[in-house]
Amino acid sequence: MNLGDAPLTPAPIVWEPMLPMIIVFVTGVLCMCVEMLRPKQTNNLIVVLSLAGLAVAGALIVLDWTAAVFHQPPSEFFGVRFGGSPEEAGGGLFIHDRFGQSVQLILIASTFITILFSEGYLRERRIPFGEYYPLVLWSAVGGMIMASTRDLMIFFLGLETLSIALYVLAGLNSKEKRSQEAALKYFLLGAFASSFLLFGIALIYGATGTTHILGIPMLMNHASADPTAGKILIGGIAMVLIGFGFKAALVPFHMWTPDVYQGAPTTVTAFMAAGSKAAAFGALVRFVGAITQPELIDAWLPALAIVAVLTMTVGNLIALAQRDAKRIIGYSSIAHAGYLLVAVVAWAHSRGSIGLDTVVYYLGAYSITTIGAFAVLSLTAKAGREGTQLEDYNGLWKRAPFAAAAMIVFMASLAGVPPTGGFVGKLLIFKDALDQDYTWLAIALGINSVLSVFYYLRIVFAVCVDEPDERRSQFAKPNAGMLTAAGACALAVLAMGVFTSAVLQTMGLSLPAESGSASRSVAQKP
Amino acid sequence: MPGSIGCPLAHLGPRFCGKIVEPVNPYLPIFVMIALASVICIAMVSLSWLLGPKKSTAYKESPFECGVAPTGSAHERFPIKFYLTAMLFILFDIEVVFLWSWMTVFRGWVEKGTPSAMYSFWAVMVYMVLWFLGDFYVLRSGALEWEESKTLHPEKFGKAVDEEAPYVQPVSEDAA
Amino acid sequence: MTPEFWWGTLRALIIIAFVLVGVPPVIWWERRLLSWMQDRVGPNRVGPWGLLQPIADGVKLFFKEEVMPAAVDKFVYWLAPAIALFPAFVIGATLVWGPNPMLTPVADVDIGILWVLAISSLGVYGIVLGGWASNNKYSLLGGLRSTAQLVSYELAMGVALYSVLLVTGSLKMTEVVARQQAPLYDVLPWAQNWFILTPYGFGAGVIFLICMIAETNRAPFDLPEAESELIAGFHTEYSSMKFAVFFMGEYAVMAMFGAIFTDLFLGGWSPLPLNWDYLSAQASAAHLGWLSSALSFIGGAWMAPVWFIGKVFFLLTVYIWIRATLPRLRYDQLMNVGWKFLLPFAALNFVLTAVWMLFGWLAFGIAAAVVAAGYLMVVGFVLRPRAFKDAAKVHLVDVQANTAQTIEVQR
Repeated sequence: MNLGDAPLTPAPIVWEPMLPMIIVFVTGVLCMCVEMLRPKQTNNLIVVLSLAGLAVAGALIVLDWTAAVFHQPPSEFFGVRFGGSPEEAGGGLFIHDRFGQSVQLILIASTFITILFSEGYLRERRIPFGEYYPLVLWSAVGGMIMASTRDLMIFFLGLETLSIALYVLAGLNSKEKRSQEAALKYFLLGAFASSFLLFGIALIYGATGTTHILGIPMLMNHASADPTAGKILIGGIAMVLIGFGFKAALVPFHMWTPDVYQGAPTTVTAFMAAGSKAAAFGALVRFVGAITQPELIDAWLPALAIVAVLTMTVGNLIALAQRDAKRIIGYSSIAHAGYLLVAVVAWAHSRGSIGLDTVVYYLGAYSITTIGAFAVLSLTAKAGREGTQLEDYNGLWKRAPFAAAAMIVFMASLAGVPPTGGFVGKLLIFKDALDQDYTWLAIALGINSVLSVFYYLRIVFAVCVDEPDERRSQFAKPNAGMLTAAGACALAVLAMGVFTSAVLQTMGLSLPAESGSASRSVAQKP
Repeated sequence: MPGSIGCPLAHLGPRFCGKIVEPVNPYLPIFVMIALASVICIAMVSLSWLLGPKKSTAYKESPFECGVAPTGSAHERFPIKFYLTAMLFILFDIEVVFLWSWMTVFRGWVEKGTPSAMYSFWAVMVYMVLWFLGDFYVLRSGALEWEESKTLHPEKFGKAVDEEAPYVQPVSEDAA
Repeated sequence: MTPEFWWGTLRALIIIAFVLVGVPPVIWWERRLLSWMQDRVGPNRVGPWGLLQPIADGVKLFFKEEVMPAAVDKFVYWLAPAIALFPAFVIGATLVWGPNPMLTPVADVDIGILWVLAISSLGVYGIVLGGWASNNKYSLLGGLRSTAQLVSYELAMGVALYSVLLVTGSLKMTEVVARQQAPLYDVLPWAQNWFILTPYGFGAGVIFLICMIAETNRAPFDLPEAESELIAGFHTEYSSMKFAVFFMGEYAVMAMFGAIFTDLFLGGWSPLPLNWDYLSAQASAAHLGWLSSALSFIGGAWMAPVWFIGKVFFLLTVYIWIRATLPRLRYDQLMNVGWKFLLPFAALNFVLTAVWMLFGWLAFGIAAAVVAAGYLMVVGFVLRPRAFKDAAKVHLVDVQANTAQTIEVQR
């Protein structure tokens, strides 16, 4: 039979809410074309293009928040429909809500800042490949896709888009063995984790008959559900969580993180630590949000809570023993994944009685802080070499006092010292955890925060106090892009600490009762 | 039309001509064919072992290298370009495989004049534009140049930011 | 066992018998024709006109000692020739060689063309495994080259078929042939719409023909064997019947690809692109009864295999002709042709076919002109492929060795 006989008409697709993703993607394609057309010139044009594309995409999201630009009346143009209900973006495959857009915005901001200080670093490392920029942009698109869908296949698509670009980026410095090692390790473990995720998706599909994650609550609410299907579903959920856990670097799936963070070029590490984590947590929140049934919550929340404690403790304890700045931040990012998981657990436990503002706020604060820190750390790249041991940073305060000052702010934020975004973020997590009677989680979080101060202080000491060893400490001259990135991050971190309520209100993710804002939150529903 | 032009088996009855008689499983003959072909292939490679003489000597058994005694393993490492070719093949093959399903339905849509025809056509065109860009990129970046490997052009490094360190080619760094 | 099963088995046996019986004459024809083209005599002693020479060679090879070198990977070494021959037998599973559904194709399944592509790519395993298992450096190189060559050309081949698929709207071989029996350009009722006669089909046909020659490792794409540099490449270490199996596989696949080309582009079993049914009806309307029955006999089921084999024979002759004419390509030229010309052109052809289907001839012409102009611009300003510079210099790599090429049955 010919399938052409079927009376098919194009499914109505609402394009506007996908515009930020499309814009970033097309920007990547354009950057690739520029590199293709003029491979023997500097990357300046590519950088400008990428920044412009990201700025437009980010502005669109902010415009949608303030002026609802994506809510257009339906119209048709060359057979392609525009406008309509934005909730059905992309033919129902994408969702258009505050949470997704916030994570998208975090991703866009992370990419923007990363690209700001990339070119100088790449030139110093002697790896200014023009392909770097399209890959970063496409990777960001993958993350944006992950954060704004509820279909498991699209999750997977986004995850692969994010990951495959990052595999390549991790091995960008192909002349260096450590970079090769990072790429290979990341690729092999990532492929392994992807297969877990895919197998989990297959099991969930087998149990529920749909790849949409709302199939899970539908199956569980169905009284006459086949008990076998429930068991298959549990296995599927476990595997999907393993897949996301790998991406988010949760213990025990964290092994790749320090090696990859250390081996990859610093700018890539920055993007990985911020963007990749934001995307993974975006997807994790979507997925956990679908598991609202008491039986499932009883099965999964304790496990997730234990994973959270393990993650933060292991990350912090191992970080204490590290001497390499990039590894320290790598382990610190594991610890922060643990803190974030506490927020996710509290949110899932509350079943909609608290908002997602904590998660998003912490994610934003963490991303900006980490990228800023990496921007400063990238200063040791010079003439093709880069030292990332703590001793290599001695004397940075003499050579680049501004960067050193910014570093203090970032470390304060990561450690959770007021008045920084990191402090407020941790406070919000504390509050949520205590609200939901997770006192032990809150205590674990507190102990871990104190632990982490030691190694953050170590970096601060290395940068600002220790005397430089002339043979070791070689710094590139901070360029405008790097200074802008570090300065903007430092300002943003401080602003998030000071103008907390304004930031929360703009995101509009807290519940009406708490924030008093009239904005409707879609994401807190599963 | 198949079967409409004079069928030599018409005397066997209507079920043999005019209409294609589907077997229970249309793939069954293929499996029969695969079995027959396997038997024949294996028989052919095994027969000479049964029929031919077997007088092996050390000289006969040595690998052929134009009369010179072979040195080293024959399973040497080979150029990485072969891997690249294989990867590109898989990439492009997967890209074009996505079009198969469209190709089987497009004609039906065009003949019926459904909006799907136009819509899917433009969707495929967008896809093909990306496909061509990818192809051009592969060619342009020298992935298929057999004597060259890609190195960065010196212009890429821009003006030296730091005058005291002149730009040199990247050094490989194996710091432990 | 239903009658359908036995009919299916009969159909399969016909194809297998065709391969087994067809190979010796093909080898004979190649050697004779090549000799004539090179002003030689060729085999003429065994049987009339030397017709029995390939059979004598085969019998001799059966009774030759099988030399298995030391340190080969025994199982893979044994398996490789079988894998190389296997596709020759089963690739014809979806081949249509006549109008009778009881006799052809073996299985009229929905995956007809896909089957051809899938099975044709199996052949590479035999070659690469043989090259790897032989424990010989020449064999390994030959196997590698062959793998790279086959995958490169397979891609272009698959994409070239897309315009055929698009126009047919089905992967079934019977429907591909039926589509070619429609009136030419859907207007001329007395002529058949052979794809080779349509602009898009012509482009696809030329690309398919080139890829087909490359897929069967024939000159000028016979680099995997390249006796002058690789000493027969992947089958250096094979002797006796195992060598003969590789050899037979090559010729059988050649013939089968000829048959597939006939089905896909030359309208199947009709001798000329004429609608015999229509002409016969016209003749009987003009009260020319004898002409009418003659025409319907020519286009009828009894003559179908004759015409079909004739077309395959013609394509085999083209193969041999090309081998006698063209020198072997250099390896980088080979890859350039595959990736830089055939693949983009095949894809463009596919796009143009879609344009023609949706918008008609005018748009097709305009789009083709735009594509041609665009291609010139791309080639001139963007790609500047090395192959163009190379084309200016004539590379007669080893014309002499190639033309003096004889079939190494004596090994």
